[in-house]
Amino acid sequence: MSDLEAYRAKAAAWLESMVPTYGKAARKGLSEADDLALARKYQKAKFDAGYAGINWPTEFGGQGKGHLEKVTFDTEEMKHGFPSFYFGISLGMPIPVLMQFGEDKAWVKERVLKALQGEEIWCQLFSEPAGGSDLAGLRTKAEPDGNGWKINGQKVWTSWAHYSDYGVIVVRTDPNVPKHKGLTYFWVDMKAPGVTVRPIKLVGGDSHVNEVFFDDVKIGDDHRMSPVGGGFAVAIATLMIERYVATDSAGFGPHLDLFVELAKDTELNGKPAIEDGRIRQQIARNYAMRSGLQSITARAMAMMQAGMTPGPEGSLNKLVAVRSRQKLSELAIDLQGSDGFTYDDHASQKEDWTSSWINAPTGRIAGGSDETLLNTIAEKILGLPQDHRPDKGVPFNQIPA
Amino acid sequence: MSILYDEGQQAIATESRRVLEARVSKEELLPLLETSGRYHEGYWTTAKEQGWTALALPEAYSGLDLGLVELGLIAHQAGRSLSGAPFLTSNFGAAKAIELYGTEDQKAKWLPGLASGETIGAVAFASGANALPARPALTLTGERLDGVMTGVSAGLAADIAVVFANGPGMPVLAVAELADVKRTAIASFDNSRLYADLEFADTPAETLVTGGAAREAALHILALQAVITAHEQAGGAEAMMEIARDYAVTRRAFGQPIGAFQSIKHRIAEIYGLVELARANCIHAASREGQSDFITAAAAARISATEAYDTASRDCVQIHGGIGVTWELGLHLHTRRARSLAIEQGNLLFWEDVLVDRLTGEAA
Repeated sequence: MSDLEAYRAKAAAWLESMVPTYGKAARKGLSEADDLALARKYQKAKFDAGYAGINWPTEFGGQGKGHLEKVTFDTEEMKHGFPSFYFGISLGMPIPVLMQFGEDKAWVKERVLKALQGEEIWCQLFSEPAGGSDLAGLRTKAEPDGNGWKINGQKVWTSWAHYSDYGVIVVRTDPNVPKHKGLTYFWVDMKAPGVTVRPIKLVGGDSHVNEVFFDDVKIGDDHRMSPVGGGFAVAIATLMIERYVATDSAGFGPHLDLFVELAKDTELNGKPAIEDGRIRQQIARNYAMRSGLQSITARAMAMMQAGMTPGPEGSLNKLVAVRSRQKLSELAIDLQGSDGFTYDDHASQKEDWTSSWINAPTGRIAGGSDETLLNTIAEKILGLPQDHRPDKGVPFNQIPA
Repeated sequence: MSILYDEGQQAIATESRRVLEARVSKEELLPLLETSGRYHEGYWTTAKEQGWTALALPEAYSGLDLGLVELGLIAHQAGRSLSGAPFLTSNFGAAKAIELYGTEDQKAKWLPGLASGETIGAVAFASGANALPARPALTLTGERLDGVMTGVSAGLAADIAVVFANGPGMPVLAVAELADVKRTAIASFDNSRLYADLEFADTPAETLVTGGAAREAALHILALQAVITAHEQAGGAEAMMEIARDYAVTRRAFGQPIGAFQSIKHRIAEIYGLVELARANCIHAASREGQSDFITAAAAARISATEAYDTASRDCVQIHGGIGVTWELGLHLHTRRARSLAIEQGNLLFWEDVLVDRLTGEAA
């Protein structure tokens, strides 16, 4: 057994032992507040067992192991339905950025340890009503105010802002220069006066994302994490942090086995649906697509293990998988016909076709829309030209609105 | 489970690409379409000289003892360059059938010639839409074959064929010499593949395997060939993607390269996705030879590679506009090859059924 396989086995055994307390069955029927409380305990248990901050430096309280161990643990963890998603953004981006760019190391360490133990949550305040795909088009501004700054404006789609203690934020500090050059990166206290968080209810009935309003929110200059006007580079560094995360060829929807079971159990025109050519074709093509993604991921892992850099094809996962999950979920509902109307908004997206279907559009937009991802593949991998951008080089305050 | 190519394998890919780019050009391929009964002899000479015919066969029979992974790498390059000869796959399939199911005498008799490429092998199982028919078109009585096999790839030039036939009350896999078999060339949209109808009449044949095992053996041979063909398809799709990309950055319209329009750039990015999925499935399938999930992996490779090549060639022509449908530019060579490879070694419908059968444990 390789070291990595030994690590996997040990992690799998530990995770298995956590299932009775924190697994799917234990969480069933809990209110979100109770679920979050359980999640904080689970995060603390992970920390105590040495599975929090796996690939982070030990001087900040991490485990000092490699990226492979991290992905290996995440892959095993995904199997059980633990409540780890409340900390996904927090530990995924803001905290690593804080470790990299935070000036006051003692303060940073305190925040990292609290976040790793589930005591504090951070959010990432990037998107705005006028700056989603075009991040550099954001309008929330920070103006000099005494020795510090004063923030005014609005962010949107901020995951878990309603539970967050702190956030990282990109704002405009100079509207007189082209859009990328007038941005600065700060951290903010989400409980500070003038910060208002308003949850947004999504199609699936849940409210994980928020609008966040800033009205004369005062912060010190020690909150600044980039040079003045140098915020865009740090924002991009934030988005680039985890290129290879644990991925899921099911597009975070149900496994294909569940569709095969459904097709075996459903009668269509007097015969099992599994005998229907249209159904068989979809099963076969989905299998081929999913196995392709799995092979790409397996090769990327093997390359990292061999000390090589994986190819860019890893970027295909979300684009390909979520889109096909959406279509397969539609077909699964079709297949149930008049039995397909039932909807339970507490059902798991990974086990329930209706829940998978109604939440799939969110998956195709969040974390880069299909169109954004296609542009990235075309421009960064294939070397195709950028779109025509009329705002290029134009001072932000002269771009026609 | 997956593999990374090692240095030796990477060298095979680089060298075969270099050789093929130097020796195969579309100027030689275009005229082949206008006559039947001709193939790219330069390619076959190259394949023999380079030892590609011997690559995946055992050393004991003049082979090089490498495997599907290495042959797949060459097939990928052959697909990129539209090599124009069907034998790499058909020869390999016929040789593997004899190697895996033949007697010592049969191996000694056929394998060295197939390894050197002096003997050309074909595999003839299909009957129209059925890649492995419930009732094969040929009948084996004693050691004699009768019946007509239609659309045999490489059939016009092959010296021997491994066939799937009705034996006495059960299916049988057999090998027949084609010297006295009547052959009719098929006028095809991809003439250099040497498709032919073969008319067996009291043709001497040697049995390789009989009964239920014969059907399993035939499926296994088809799967081996399918993995090689899938590599060829993935290579062709990759070439089409690159040609489309190169055109999109050069050709200008409305004051900018057409690749700046999302209708074009997204189309090419989508092809990239299909090519990479196919390539990943091909590499995986080649590495699973001899494992219990090999047939499943081969089917997945075949399905994704067929989709990739058809889509890439279709969209590449569309991106070119008018120039894309001219004879001279030669994009149609890929369009044609995408379709001929889609039918060889079992069509998409066949492999979809094989895959679902494997996943559900029951046949339709």
